[in-house]
Amino acid sequence: MSRSQLSSTPKKRRTRETAILSLLAVLIVAMFIISMNTGLIRLSPTEVIHTLLGEGSQQQKLILFDFRLPRIVISLLVGAGFAVAGCILQSLSRNALAEPSTLGINAGAGFAVLIFISFVPATTAAPIFMLPLMALAGAGLTATLIYVLAFRREDGLSPTRLILIGIAVGAGIYAFQLILSLRLDPENYQFVATWLAGKIWGGDWRFVMALLPWILILVPFAFYKARVLNVLNLGDEIPVGLGLPVERERVLLMAAAVALAGSCVAVSGGIGFVGLIAPHLARRIVGPRHQILLPACALVGALLLLTADTIARWILQPSEIPTGIVVAIIGAPYFLYLLARSKA
Amino acid sequence: MYSINLKRAGHRKLASIGLLTLTLILSACGNNNSANSTGGAANAPAASADATTAPASEAPAATTAPAVEKTVTDAMGHKVTVPANPQRVLASYLEDYLVVLGVTPVAQWSVTNGIQDYLADELKDVPTISFDLPLEAVTGFAPDFHIVQSEASVQNGLYDQLNKIAPTYVLGDEISKDWRKSLLKIGELLNKSAEAKQAIAAYDQKAADAKAKISTVIGDDSVAILWLVKKNFYIVDETRSSGAVVYGDLGLKLPNLVTEIPAASRATWNPISLEKLAELTADHIFLVNSDKTEGSEILNSPIWKGIPAVKAGNVHEFASNHSWLYSGAIANSKTIDDVLNSLVK
Repeated sequence: MSRSQLSSTPKKRRTRETAILSLLAVLIVAMFIISMNTGLIRLSPTEVIHTLLGEGSQQQKLILFDFRLPRIVISLLVGAGFAVAGCILQSLSRNALAEPSTLGINAGAGFAVLIFISFVPATTAAPIFMLPLMALAGAGLTATLIYVLAFRREDGLSPTRLILIGIAVGAGIYAFQLILSLRLDPENYQFVATWLAGKIWGGDWRFVMALLPWILILVPFAFYKARVLNVLNLGDEIPVGLGLPVERERVLLMAAAVALAGSCVAVSGGIGFVGLIAPHLARRIVGPRHQILLPACALVGALLLLTADTIARWILQPSEIPTGIVVAIIGAPYFLYLLARSKA
Repeated sequence: MYSINLKRAGHRKLASIGLLTLTLILSACGNNNSANSTGGAANAPAASADATTAPASEAPAATTAPAVEKTVTDAMGHKVTVPANPQRVLASYLEDYLVVLGVTPVAQWSVTNGIQDYLADELKDVPTISFDLPLEAVTGFAPDFHIVQSEASVQNGLYDQLNKIAPTYVLGDEISKDWRKSLLKIGELLNKSAEAKQAIAAYDQKAADAKAKISTVIGDDSVAILWLVKKNFYIVDETRSSGAVVYGDLGLKLPNLVTEIPAASRATWNPISLEKLAELTADHIFLVNSDKTEGSEILNSPIWKGIPAVKAGNVHEFASNHSWLYSGAIANSKTIDDVLNSLVK
């Protein structure tokens, strides 16, 4: 926490925080409008407004309401979900590298989905509704495995061990994914490959409805636990000294993060980096207090992913590149920049 | 959008009212559209497509008119309402059948590095659409009837979205692996069954003639069909693609190796190592070379040169723009031409 923030009065701080959150919200709205106008078929802002008011042609309605809007909403939800999950995991593990994909949780969710696709014929209607559940189960199992392996009775959850075991488990799962995906027929392989690279493929209101409950319950839950996260972020001794049931709170928050990540993976595939970068960005803007950090995280994540998805749809028209790749292209240089700065 | 749904439910009166309203809205928005959208070209066909379906839905089914709207069930069990006279058909990777039936599709299949080259002449004015059918691209072509080849390509909800754009019929792998069945089915959907049957009869006649000619020339010799791409050889399954033509229709003798591949893991084109190829005993090799730049290295290797057919100079090479990788009345007919040109001199 910087000195200026410490010295500022609570009132000043609150004004500043409100201003930052409002600015982020305005940026999201701006990006939302740009995204609605972006696509193979150009819709000018006036046409978008006409269509929103119900005066567009059938084709315009179809494009806006059935193809673009659900995808935009999903980008926002997934971005917020990954960012909050990443923030929780970083604070719990006190490790700046923690996020659903570095901890192998995304890989676990992806693996479960891959198993499902390999052994259940895709011709039935079931997969759409089963995929989120499979992803959640995979994410949960992986997280449990990592937690059990990383936890030591004598010194609790060591941040370094958690990350290393996460990376190891993730690499193992990735190997199995490769083996399994080589057995797939080309059509399925292509789907799985783009899915693993992180493509928002669930451009359908049903996916919005499948994802919305998780976000609506778990994100506010994380906000509610902001104070607990503040304390847990200090290490194990202080919270215990303060009389906090550390283990219970940690498992609860971890479960929330895993469920958020799992449900997001189900509709968007393995989009990494958002969960890593959004918390970093947010922390630089608003500081480490979780009461403000978590909402800022959610907004930054949503903005980041919506921007990435808009670029993904626009840059290689008429085909698109997986959103996860755009995120990585933007994210990797930023991350290198962070590393370079932190040394200096 | 709503009018379409209602039409499917059978409320034809409502549908025609809906279409009328829609036409009004469309014409009202006309100025706006052409003024400020680059997608204007795409909007116009949408309007004309509506106009062509409107009379069909008003006409009662009782008339003797040959073309009426019909409801069929596709390979995935969807109930699909086929317009009476589809004007703007999209059938990616099924263009061979459309061309045979005299239907010009609104767009043709493509991947980043090309199209189905053997149909380039027939489809030279047809714009391309990416193989993965981007929704907005499909919408832009404003199809009024859409045929999809395989179940797998429209899985995970893509079907529902495509079906919102236009009635979408999934042919299914079961039918599409047999080009005769595919042609008959597509002919039936597009009210062109007679043309389909005629095309098959003409093809069978051509195949029989060619078979007679070839058998007098090469007798009992065996032939292999190989595909070279990215430094790897693939050998065709005897029941699919050009395999079905050469071994099935032309009755040429299958070489060893093909039958050694376990039936369960057979694809249309099966990878085969150069070492395994050394055991190939075929008298003739048809080589589809998609590897002009890098392949020469392999084709100059001692192993390749040691294969009996290569030693004897019986390799017939075709560029990848020939029809050997594809299937359909036109593709197969061109393959027969290639075989005749190579073997009957």
